[in-house]
Amino acid sequence: MTVVLEAKGLAVSTTAGGRTVDVLRNIDLSLAPGRVLGLVGESGAGKSMIGRVIARNLPGAFSVSRGALHFDGRDLLTISDRDRLALLGRDIAFIPQEPLTALNPTLTIAQQFGEHLERLGVPRGERRARIVSALAEVRLRDPQTLLDRYPFQLSGGMCQRVLIAMAFAGRPKLIVADEPTTALDVSTQAHIVQIIRRMQRDTGTALLFITHDLRLAAHVCDEIMVLYAGDMIERGPARSIINNPRHPYTRALLAANPALSGPRLRLASLPDQMPAISAFADLPGCRFAPRCPVRDPACAAGGFEPLSLGDGHIARCAPGCLSGETQAIAPTALAPWPVARSDAPVLQVDNLSKRYGGGRTLFGAETPGVNAVLPMSLSVRPGEFVGVVGESGSGKSTLARLVMGLEPPTSGAIRIDGKDVTKDAPQARVIRLDALQMVFQDPQSALNPRRPVQSLVTQAMESPRRRADAVTRLSRAKALLTETGLAPEMLDRYPAQLSGGQKQRVNIARALCVTPRLLVADEIVSGLDVSVQAQILNLLLDLREARDIGLLFISHDLAVVRYLCARVIVMQNGAVVEEGVTEEVFAAPQHPYTRALLAAVPPDDVDQPWPVEAA
Amino acid sequence: MSPRAAAALRRCAQSPRVIVAAIILIAAIAVALFAPFLAPHSPQDQDLINTLLPPMWAVGGDPSYPLGTDTLGRCILSRLIYGARVALYVAFVAATGAMLLGAALALLASYFGGWVDWIVSRMVDIWMAFPPVVLALILLVGMGAGVNKVILAIVLIDWTRFCRVIRSEGIVVMKRDYIAAARLSSFTNLQIMLKELLPAVSPLLITLLSLEMGIAVIVEAIMSFVGLSVEPDVAAWGVMIADARQTMNQAPWGVIFPVFAIFLLVLAFNLMGDGLRRALDTRLLISRGAA
Repeated sequence: MTVVLEAKGLAVSTTAGGRTVDVLRNIDLSLAPGRVLGLVGESGAGKSMIGRVIARNLPGAFSVSRGALHFDGRDLLTISDRDRLALLGRDIAFIPQEPLTALNPTLTIAQQFGEHLERLGVPRGERRARIVSALAEVRLRDPQTLLDRYPFQLSGGMCQRVLIAMAFAGRPKLIVADEPTTALDVSTQAHIVQIIRRMQRDTGTALLFITHDLRLAAHVCDEIMVLYAGDMIERGPARSIINNPRHPYTRALLAANPALSGPRLRLASLPDQMPAISAFADLPGCRFAPRCPVRDPACAAGGFEPLSLGDGHIARCAPGCLSGETQAIAPTALAPWPVARSDAPVLQVDNLSKRYGGGRTLFGAETPGVNAVLPMSLSVRPGEFVGVVGESGSGKSTLARLVMGLEPPTSGAIRIDGKDVTKDAPQARVIRLDALQMVFQDPQSALNPRRPVQSLVTQAMESPRRRADAVTRLSRAKALLTETGLAPEMLDRYPAQLSGGQKQRVNIARALCVTPRLLVADEIVSGLDVSVQAQILNLLLDLREARDIGLLFISHDLAVVRYLCARVIVMQNGAVVEEGVTEEVFAAPQHPYTRALLAAVPPDDVDQPWPVEAA
Repeated sequence: MSPRAAAALRRCAQSPRVIVAAIILIAAIAVALFAPFLAPHSPQDQDLINTLLPPMWAVGGDPSYPLGTDTLGRCILSRLIYGARVALYVAFVAATGAMLLGAALALLASYFGGWVDWIVSRMVDIWMAFPPVVLALILLVGMGAGVNKVILAIVLIDWTRFCRVIRSEGIVVMKRDYIAAARLSSFTNLQIMLKELLPAVSPLLITLLSLEMGIAVIVEAIMSFVGLSVEPDVAAWGVMIADARQTMNQAPWGVIFPVFAIFLLVLAFNLMGDGLRRALDTRLLISRGAA
């Protein structure tokens, strides 16, 4: 059997805190022509590092310290720079994560594609025809008209298709796709995956597919390799990994992913997070051991070899941990959504709309406007979790800002406990901000980097209306940290010293300070890894138990909305296209857009074909 | 202190520019403070027998006048030492004044946006269209000469430098979610401006302040050169250059020393500003991969 890419005992090292640490170790892989290997892991697992080793594009302080890497019979580690450059783009091609930044905004599609074809040795006269046929192959409509357009005139999905066409143009033997769909909307993701798969099958190219989404990988890949903190944790046929995960981490990763169908199970969330590179030196053995629910002392000491489980399925774990019966990570059933109570709603929105621009210029000419939110109504009762789903540009974030009074609505009314707060007058503001608080999407931007945690979470007590002395503030801060599952040591930390999950907890704690009855959460888990996402989602469920708090949960992730929310509102281009009880909407979607959204999510069952080839 | 501030301070302390500048500035401040103890003579004492003496190491120099004397036999070293007082006084007061005025307007403009921003921005545009030297001369002729008038002129002319830069930085900060979060915490407008917005622009403010001090030293020297600044009986570097101008061919030292003093002090302020900018500007840090 021929092998396109083969790695044996590959390790990449750097120095952290004066010690040499392996940021990638014991990587064994082999990829045959026409096969797809998935590299799966959370951020910091080292999956992108493998792509960088192949391109020999490692950051300055990193270097390959051990092992071998062969491409098509040639040693990629010792190859000369000239030979390597000759390989890249021709025999090895890359599909990047951010399609918009990967294309030069000052060149037209034809110019950039032409440059690439020139490198491939296509004569000038044939280039335009080649480009048109290549663009047609990735199912871009009217490729002729795209040639003289600039990247910023195309959508993210279209740019990604252009890049895919470029990657396949040289009929490469290997394509490395690093999170090619992460920056795109769900429905675009399905199309892109479909195109990559089809092109790859037609050309017999080997594909290295790097992703954080285990379920997506299961549908795209023949084989999957799961990485954790630079270690290969488990490797095997995709079906076998999903249906019969053996390593505790793989099991935890699967259990942390909310499902779109079947019974709602409480997500099993691991404590803590993946260790940082600086902590690697103190973890000689299994780097997962400190978080492992079934660890035995042998794991942390290390020294065990990967176990072969037959059928090419390999796990790097001590035999004791692999006993199939381990129930430690088994998910528990979640109580059904509480029945909607008949209490008066906390928040009631009637025919609310927002239009940007559309005014008149100095000379009376009308300027074009954009309808961000078309007139819509919704209500949230105490203790109720309502989800708002939609893709980017659907107006869901604008809705959150309108509800919070951060932007004035164009028309409609917002009522809190029956009192009208549509106008942002001082009195209305008091009513609004006593009942409603917001958790922001990007904790990086939402936390003032110059405030320590204890000052951040009790920030509201600096306002003239709630002014409190230092002792009261400190005890309040302590209580809030306990409630949101943060250790008291965090009190004096600054945002830069916190991980993404911890920042999001601080973000939530701050919103809880004034004991609101409704939280408005705008995409609060979209930037987090699955295991951290599970922690935050469970925290929200626990808060409902403890405080009877309501939630307006804005998200693009249908599975997450299904996990949390009893009712769901689906938005498209600023309009509500469907709403109802989550279970009913997801089981029998009425609107074509809802159906399309649901179809775009990789199903839980690996055997179900996905993505469905569009007619 | 936040780790961010600590790291910034560490970067400052490791920057050669900042270290060199700090040494020169500390020395200059010490000289100005302890002038009566350091100066060998009173800056106004005339010794008409020993006029136009060269420095003590040159032929014909007198050890009691280390840097020589001017046309009236006044000790150049003593006049330089007392001149530092005027230069530093103008530098600190004028730059601080320009900063306060400019930053206050900039904060208002970036916080409220809309028509407030429009008015402030147009004011800056119009202000900056005036030639600054002409504006300064008009102001000083109108208000009369004097060192405090010079300071007022610098404040009234140079606040635009602060306003323009701080306003654009403030607009970037206003887009951050923590400003919205402060609003949802029922902060008053003033609280948001002072507790959230001001700290975010303060690194830039400090950098600009340092650069402005250098500019103020030069402006003061020019104004005292043309006789619009200090009283005739006060020693200032610009006055020294003006006095020594006629005898420049026989006694170049009278011009060289004050020019060198101005050069050194302005260099220190500029190095300090540049060093602080490199140490504090997060965008530069990111582009160099240090953050």
